[in-house]
Amino acid sequence: MLFEVTGLSKNFGPIAALSNVAFQVRPGEVLGLIGPNGAGKSTLFECLAGVLPCDSGTLRANGRPVTTRERRSLLFYVPDGIAPWPAQSVGWALDFTIGFLGGRAQLRDEVVEQLDLRRLLDQPLGTLSKGQRKRALLAIGLLTAQPALLIDEPFEGLDLRQARDIAAALRMHAIRGRTLFLSIHQISDAARFCDRFILLSGGRVRGEGTVPELAALARAHQASIPSQDLEEVFLALT
Amino acid sequence: MRSPRSPFLWLLEKECRELIVCRAWWVLLLGMGPLVGVSFIGAVRTYGEVSGLNGASAGVGEALSPLIGVWAPTFSACELAAVFLLPFVAIRLVAGDRQSGALKLELQQGMPPFTRITAKALVLLAGWLVAMLPPLTAILLWKSYGGSVYPPEILTLVFGHILNAGLTIALAAAMASLTEHPSTAAILTLGITVGTWIVSLFGAVQGGWWERAAGFTPAAMVAEFQHGLMRLDTTLVAIVLSLAGLGFAAVWMQLGIAVTRRAYQSAAIGMLAAAGIFGCTLITTSWDTSESRGNSFSEGDEQALRKIHAPLSIEAHLAPEDPRRLDLEHHALSKLRRVLPAVQVRYVSSTSIGLFEQTRPGYGEIWYDLGGRKTMSRMTTAEGVLEEIYSLAKVAPPREKEEDIFRGHPLAVPATAAGPIFYAAWPGLVLAAGLFARRRFK
Repeated sequence: MLFEVTGLSKNFGPIAALSNVAFQVRPGEVLGLIGPNGAGKSTLFECLAGVLPCDSGTLRANGRPVTTRERRSLLFYVPDGIAPWPAQSVGWALDFTIGFLGGRAQLRDEVVEQLDLRRLLDQPLGTLSKGQRKRALLAIGLLTAQPALLIDEPFEGLDLRQARDIAAALRMHAIRGRTLFLSIHQISDAARFCDRFILLSGGRVRGEGTVPELAALARAHQASIPSQDLEEVFLALT
Repeated sequence: MRSPRSPFLWLLEKECRELIVCRAWWVLLLGMGPLVGVSFIGAVRTYGEVSGLNGASAGVGEALSPLIGVWAPTFSACELAAVFLLPFVAIRLVAGDRQSGALKLELQQGMPPFTRITAKALVLLAGWLVAMLPPLTAILLWKSYGGSVYPPEILTLVFGHILNAGLTIALAAAMASLTEHPSTAAILTLGITVGTWIVSLFGAVQGGWWERAAGFTPAAMVAEFQHGLMRLDTTLVAIVLSLAGLGFAAVWMQLGIAVTRRAYQSAAIGMLAAAGIFGCTLITTSWDTSESRGNSFSEGDEQALRKIHAPLSIEAHLAPEDPRRLDLEHHALSKLRRVLPAVQVRYVSSTSIGLFEQTRPGYGEIWYDLGGRKTMSRMTTAEGVLEEIYSLAKVAPPREKEEDIFRGHPLAVPATAAGPIFYAAWPGLVLAAGLFARRRFK
């Protein structure tokens, strides 16, 4: 187990965004965080990365609690919908990631090729399309050195071909031992790509495991037995 | 393979790049040329007219000190830019990261937030130094006209404007971190600046603690530096305030920290700053770097005053807005405090303007008490004040030496080439550099 989260809660005033969230993350796996819009996926990631303060909860690694400061060497979070350093070029952003964020320089060329960024290296980030910017952000994340990479909506804004290519690239990094924790609201995308899933709805974890494990859990909850289809399982559990 | 450069250097480079692509900074640079041009050309013209009228140097004194006649007005362009243009550059640089989302990535690096904000402040100060090139060019122009340049007073003036810029940057950074939107930060920054002007106004009207507080506003601080006076307490207060502003900015720039905790941290910074400022106000060291010694009595008078060890207290029955009180304060008491820091001054009045107190018995009297011996006078000039003190102390007034008298540096020349330089060459250079740099750094 790479790390374990227990009792994580976050309220925005009277609204409970996350309630007593608990799950485990294993090394080298591709873990999908799935849930509808407003389920609390981004909030969960921001709380884990220390971008948002959480009201309660613990993150443990190697059996001991990990402080927010210590998490910086454990995980890196790539938010969705940001457009960092809009006036700077993609190439500079990758170099900055390596220099400032302690990224891995030896991966730069490989990541550029995998994410088809070669043509965009001299282009300012602010002038990129949504899909291009997403690829640049994924490159930033993949270059970082932390063992776990949290990516919020990695396939958002990408067309089918790009999504497949990027899924293959992400898988390659996972095979090499990088743990990927991906927040995906398109369940069909998640089903194709992830090893295990955390189902989040209304700020609560409704299930955790592989598709067969989740299907079994759903059968325990409901009389009608859903198929091994993740969408059916998700609907049954939420 | 690790990058040979430290993360801090990477951050500095990033902030430099962000400054270079910041339109507000280029607008600041562009505006500085004409602003300095108008001030410098006007000042040289006036200086020339006064020099021509009073061709003989004797008797014109401080009026023809280049510091007061040329540099104070020329550098006042910096004050204007620091109030109305620099905050926007600072806000853009600080708030830009939050708006673009870069902050969420950068803060995961783990660098202390104060280090991050320091990098921004350093780059902004460097940007401000570039913006100060036009007034520095004016010095070269003045020198080429055959004008006198006294480096200590110029350095003091430049230092004062750098301190003022530091205060502005710290304030704008704090506001940009504290608020969600840059426009709110801009309104708050300008609001606080206007607030300091109100304090100055209250100080002039009410006197007392308001007057004391007004002495530490940026405008008052710059005014002292413009006269070549470098006060250690003012300088340290400006540094403490700047550090406090950057501290606030660092606290509110953090992510993942509860608002209540940040509020406690801010309160701690506020208390530390208040204690620091209180400590600074106890310091009385100052240096008069002006060539004219406009902030000091003559050396002979200072030596004579230093021999007086009895406690001196002065009670002036003058209202805050009475011009005689301003005379007394600026021409005599401010100089006296520099020699005798322990002097006690008390102003007595029942109104702020004093107009309707003129007929009150005792109004306008200035009472001197030196070790129990008392005397009264109504004179508000430096000579009058010194005369009373010497007579009480039974000290013979020193003889005025010819070399102690500042004769000034009259110069009646037109501001040749200043117009083309400040109105055409500088803006042209800025535009060309702006276009080149934006292309290069993208």
